[in-house]
Amino acid sequence: MKVSDLLESRRANWRELEQLCSWMEGHARRRTAARTVARFSALYRATCADLALADAYQLPPGTIQYLHQLVGRAHNQLYRTRTFNVDTWLHELFVAVPQRLFADNCLRLAFVVFWGVFLLSGWLAYYTPGFVERVLPEEMVNRLDDDFSEPITGSNLETVVMGGGKAGFYILNNTSIGLRCFAGGLAFGVGGLYLTVANASMLGAAFGYMTNSPRADNFYHFVTAHGPFELTAIVLSAAAGMRLGFSLVDTKGYTRLAALRRAANEAMPTMCAAMIMFLAAAVIEAFLSPSAAPYPIKAAVAVLSSGMLMFYFVILGYPREESP
Amino acid sequence: MANEVGQLDTSIEIITPENIAFRYRVAGPFRRLPAYLIDLAIRGFVILAALIVSLIVFGIVGLAPMGFGLVLVLWFLLSWFYGGLFETFFNGRTPGKMLLQIRVVSVDGQPINGLQAVLRNVLRTIDMQPGFFCVLGLLTATMNNRFQRLGDLACATMVVIEEQPWLHGVVRIQEAEVARTAAQIPANFEASRTLGKALAAYMQRRRTFSWGRRLEIARHLGEPLRERFDLPAGTNLDLLLCAAYQRAFITDHRDEADPGGSPFLQPQSPFASFDQPAPASFEVDSSA
Repeated sequence: MKVSDLLESRRANWRELEQLCSWMEGHARRRTAARTVARFSALYRATCADLALADAYQLPPGTIQYLHQLVGRAHNQLYRTRTFNVDTWLHELFVAVPQRLFADNCLRLAFVVFWGVFLLSGWLAYYTPGFVERVLPEEMVNRLDDDFSEPITGSNLETVVMGGGKAGFYILNNTSIGLRCFAGGLAFGVGGLYLTVANASMLGAAFGYMTNSPRADNFYHFVTAHGPFELTAIVLSAAAGMRLGFSLVDTKGYTRLAALRRAANEAMPTMCAAMIMFLAAAVIEAFLSPSAAPYPIKAAVAVLSSGMLMFYFVILGYPREESP
Repeated sequence: MANEVGQLDTSIEIITPENIAFRYRVAGPFRRLPAYLIDLAIRGFVILAALIVSLIVFGIVGLAPMGFGLVLVLWFLLSWFYGGLFETFFNGRTPGKMLLQIRVVSVDGQPINGLQAVLRNVLRTIDMQPGFFCVLGLLTATMNNRFQRLGDLACATMVVIEEQPWLHGVVRIQEAEVARTAAQIPANFEASRTLGKALAAYMQRRRTFSWGRRLEIARHLGEPLRERFDLPAGTNLDLLLCAAYQRAFITDHRDEADPGGSPFLQPQSPFASFDQPAPASFEVDSSA
């Protein structure tokens, strides 16, 4: 039997495998009949065998290239992406992440850097009259002045309607800042560190400036409720980014690439936790903070959310005996 | 064998769980950038459409800010998770990647999982630095042999080309003189593996060569062959190669003879023949 005869005998199989690939690309997995799957795998194995023996069969280079492409295509239909498994993610978010963060030096560093810069900047803005104009753009200072010149008295209906729009904006804006902090961390931690310091100094300056101004009551009336979630989320995303970046510096004996991959697998769930906090903060900030609800209610929300965060980080995170 | 010489071009070898080695071509920036731009355009279009629809719908009810908020949430989701979600649920492809026929897979050839898909898209932010010029990503991609940007490196993925293959079978020879030349080749001629490869490579490209160029190229292999077959000096070497190819790949003088001499007479693969007919429809039978 010559190569041409061999090709002739296999051509039908290959064509059928091609058709099956095209069909599977366009259809959901569960709509594929068991018979089709069985036939697909049989055809795939046969084509794999043909490719493995291509050299012995002396197939022409063009045919071999075709077989490589066909096997690659079928391979991608046979082995498909695993989607999100809810159980795995819940375990990751509520068991693995707090445990990891409890002993995470990056989180400690991000915490110290963020709050250190925040307090320093706030202290400077409180005591040094010209400081806030140097840190914040002028329009932002003006907006701070305007927004909080009146007591917060949003009527309920208006708050809800406007809140829908504001929630969208806060989700887009704040979570994007967090994600950028995280991705920036990859540059040896420097990018994330820079963004953290920048955010902390701007927020600190705004807090210090407003505390010193006659509008302090209105300001705290607004920021108290969503503060805990939002500030924690920023620290957390900075920490996740630093975990990426510092893994390139201190590789713990792995190659830099392997260290980065290990860190990336750990950092992404942390970032997810941060995104959930950003989401919670955005909803509170949009609906509760601008409403006319009395200050004790807002303070209670702040205490409650701080309590939840403490529970998450300390109780869920406290090192446990590993079951063997 | 490929491992000994190292990687020469953009094709990389994958070894499957079936212990089959096959090759992928990795996609470079000239395929991935258009795919990204298409995705960017789709994203922009969807946001614009959502904005118009929601402003009309919510505007009639008098809740325009709410509709605007929804659009902003959509914007957030699309700008950070568009690629991740598509690559998770569409087997490593976004619409742009589908059009450009590329796919994201793990470096070991396995499909990616949701975490890899989302992470590599979130980390695109850093690959785009500085500004919007992708300098960091491009630099990183040039420094490894799989065109991986930083996001790809961090989650061990790569982008491969997955084209609909086109079967190149045996080249058919039309020239009548070839049959005459083939008859002059000794009956015991059997092409060695390397000779077969050289002949096949020549025949595949032959059609794109001019007449003079064919003779020039054929001379290197044709001259020794002519001496081996004891053919006269004036033989057309291009046709001689065609004839040798025909003898090696298409016709056999010993069609009925020589049982068991060739490995092709009894195909050893148990899957080589399929008796069962192909099902008319691949779909689950809903009546069952």
